[in-house]
Amino acid sequence: MRPFTATVLFVVLLATAAGSAQAGDVSVSLEPAPGNPSAPRMGDRLHFHSVIQNQGQQAVDGLIAWISLVQIDKGREQPMDLEDWSAHKAVTSASLAPGAKLDTDWPMRLIQAGHYRVVISAVSRNGVGLSASPFVDFEVLPKPVVESRRVLPVAFGVPLLVIGAMLWRRWS
Amino acid sequence: MNAIGVLVRKEAGEVLMSGRGLTWLLALSGMLSVFTLLLVSNTELSLLDNAQVVYDMVGLVTALGALLALILGADSVAGERERGTLVPLLLTPLSRGQILAGKLGGLLIAWGVMYVLALPYLWAVGSTGQNMTDAMVVLAVLGTPVVLAFAFFGMGLGAVLGSLRSTLLTGLVVLILSASPLLLGPSLRQATVGRAFDAVNPFSGALNAYDAVIIDSQTLIAQAGHWLTILAWTGLALWFAVHGFKRVSR
Amino acid sequence: MLIDMQHVQLSLNDAPVLRDVSLSLGEGEIYGLLGPNGAGKSTTIAVVLGLLSPDAGQVQVLGQDPLVQPVAVHRQVGVLPEQNGFYGWMTGSDYLAFFARLYGRPHDAEAMRALMAQVGLAPRDGQRIATYSRGMAQRLGLARALVPQPRLLILDEPTNGLDPRGRREIHDVLIELSTRHGVGILLCTHLLDDVDRLCQRIGIMVEGRSVVEGGLSELIRSGHSAARFRVRLREAPPADTRRPTGVSFIRSEGEWWIADVDPSTQPEQAWRELLFLGWPIVEVVRAGGGLEDLYLSITEQRTAA
Repeated sequence: MRPFTATVLFVVLLATAAGSAQAGDVSVSLEPAPGNPSAPRMGDRLHFHSVIQNQGQQAVDGLIAWISLVQIDKGREQPMDLEDWSAHKAVTSASLAPGAKLDTDWPMRLIQAGHYRVVISAVSRNGVGLSASPFVDFEVLPKPVVESRRVLPVAFGVPLLVIGAMLWRRWS
Repeated sequence: MNAIGVLVRKEAGEVLMSGRGLTWLLALSGMLSVFTLLLVSNTELSLLDNAQVVYDMVGLVTALGALLALILGADSVAGERERGTLVPLLLTPLSRGQILAGKLGGLLIAWGVMYVLALPYLWAVGSTGQNMTDAMVVLAVLGTPVVLAFAFFGMGLGAVLGSLRSTLLTGLVVLILSASPLLLGPSLRQATVGRAFDAVNPFSGALNAYDAVIIDSQTLIAQAGHWLTILAWTGLALWFAVHGFKRVSR
Repeated sequence: MLIDMQHVQLSLNDAPVLRDVSLSLGEGEIYGLLGPNGAGKSTTIAVVLGLLSPDAGQVQVLGQDPLVQPVAVHRQVGVLPEQNGFYGWMTGSDYLAFFARLYGRPHDAEAMRALMAQVGLAPRDGQRIATYSRGMAQRLGLARALVPQPRLLILDEPTNGLDPRGRREIHDVLIELSTRHGVGILLCTHLLDDVDRLCQRIGIMVEGRSVVEGGLSELIRSGHSAARFRVRLREAPPADTRRPTGVSFIRSEGEWWIADVDPSTQPEQAWRELLFLGWPIVEVVRAGGGLEDLYLSITEQRTAA
């Protein structure tokens, strides 16, 4: 094949892949919601939207799709436990007819600062492979949660107040 | 001031004016201070989500309040009996119900003082103000019956067992048992027995409500189920205190 | 009658504590309740105060059943229990004012000072009870018992911790209360000197029973109790354990033996019979005859029996 033809084919394939990925008959897309903050910080909430479509001729039975989150900071790469990040971790469908779509919103609370990658994965009972969405990367900025200017006076002041009361009681 | 009011004032005075009572308040404020200093000094802890920090603080105040209430409740009956101050009180022209009401009022004031002592700590760690007000309200609404339940339990136990040492030992074992689901991992808590225990345990009820209000921003009204569970236990503990105190003779 | 207690029985934890106790106290009377440790005196007081419910018998205090009307009874009774605790963080004046409020009595500073003066208590201004001496604490307890201006006072060891002058002062207070104000006083004490000086009537309890009750002078004079003698022997008594009827040898003190002779027995006849049995009696001396002997003879007889 001539280099030019191979390049055109590659670009067409790439363009087709952008916005959706498919393995078998199920395609999964993932995009951040338009209302997400542009520079999210710890404690903020993000929403992601995915569309799972049956692109085959047969119904897809026993469909399960789940959200995965990994931290990708250099030296701190790790999968994240979604316990505190999100209460909505998976969606199921007993049967997805040919051409039917499953729209899902994935809310998430940002618990920890860092760089993250989120992906939606899907399998079905009668499928033979994993369908995965494209990645969506985002950064969570740190936020000092506890201000020492407030904590220190209270942490030392309140016990001193009680000690003062004890001394006043003793010497009065 | 009526007789119950006089007694409430005396009981509150025991907590706020006696060396013993002030020492316990110092211990309470000391533990809260240690926790907040840990938050500042430890990087990981200081990056905890704000709501999580407030939730932890509210849970800690409730646990410490329950512990202190158990000790004060036990001391107000078994301790007074051992110190020889209970009999003169029983021989005044007050009914057992009035004397008990006076002691309960004193314990309520003691919890009020603990609650007020805890507010600056909540303010200090709730810097962004997210759900801080809700946290203070839910601590008052749900924390109070939990603390009172242990106070009543301590009083009833003190009346039945007589000895302060036995009362404190037994009470602490029950307190630890109540808190035990919190020490179990999530998988054990999700097991059938764990879930059942969680559903009826007043401690778990309070903590689940705190989680819902402070972290998940649910409304207080939505916690009615937890509140009713806690109130049922408080009522049971009150019955135990009343029943036991009627039998105290000397 | 301020206290009318008839044939009271009480068991605690299935053990009989009071088997048959009777007691009566009238207005203006000081009644001494005596008995060895464990006789049931404190339990009797608890029954009088309605703190314990008897299994049998009747109790009336100030004309009322203390179990049915405890509040009405407590309103007119002042009590100084044996285990006497205080709120150490209070001052004496605050402490008395606290109880005065509970009794619905005047609780101003002047009234509290007068009450403390009545029992000879003069602490420093603002002095906390935790710093009181034992004697001061005892006086404070007595002052507390007087807060309700009672018709009946029940005092358990009221002169505990007091020096002789303090005891005499308290005696004077109690005598004045009974003679001038008609207060009936039930006094529970081991100090027979106090009983001797204060009490018109006494009751002696042994092992949960009222053994003797009546006027103190009459009980001592009438020979209600056995007569006590000291008997000196030349040598050890014979092994023969026969004794004349009505003679009990209580104990030996060296060459002297303490013996009680029943009122129904002639002492001289008893000594003749002992000599006939071979007892080497050298000397016989009458011992005491006062309250101590009355108490000892009754309690030792009953315990020995």
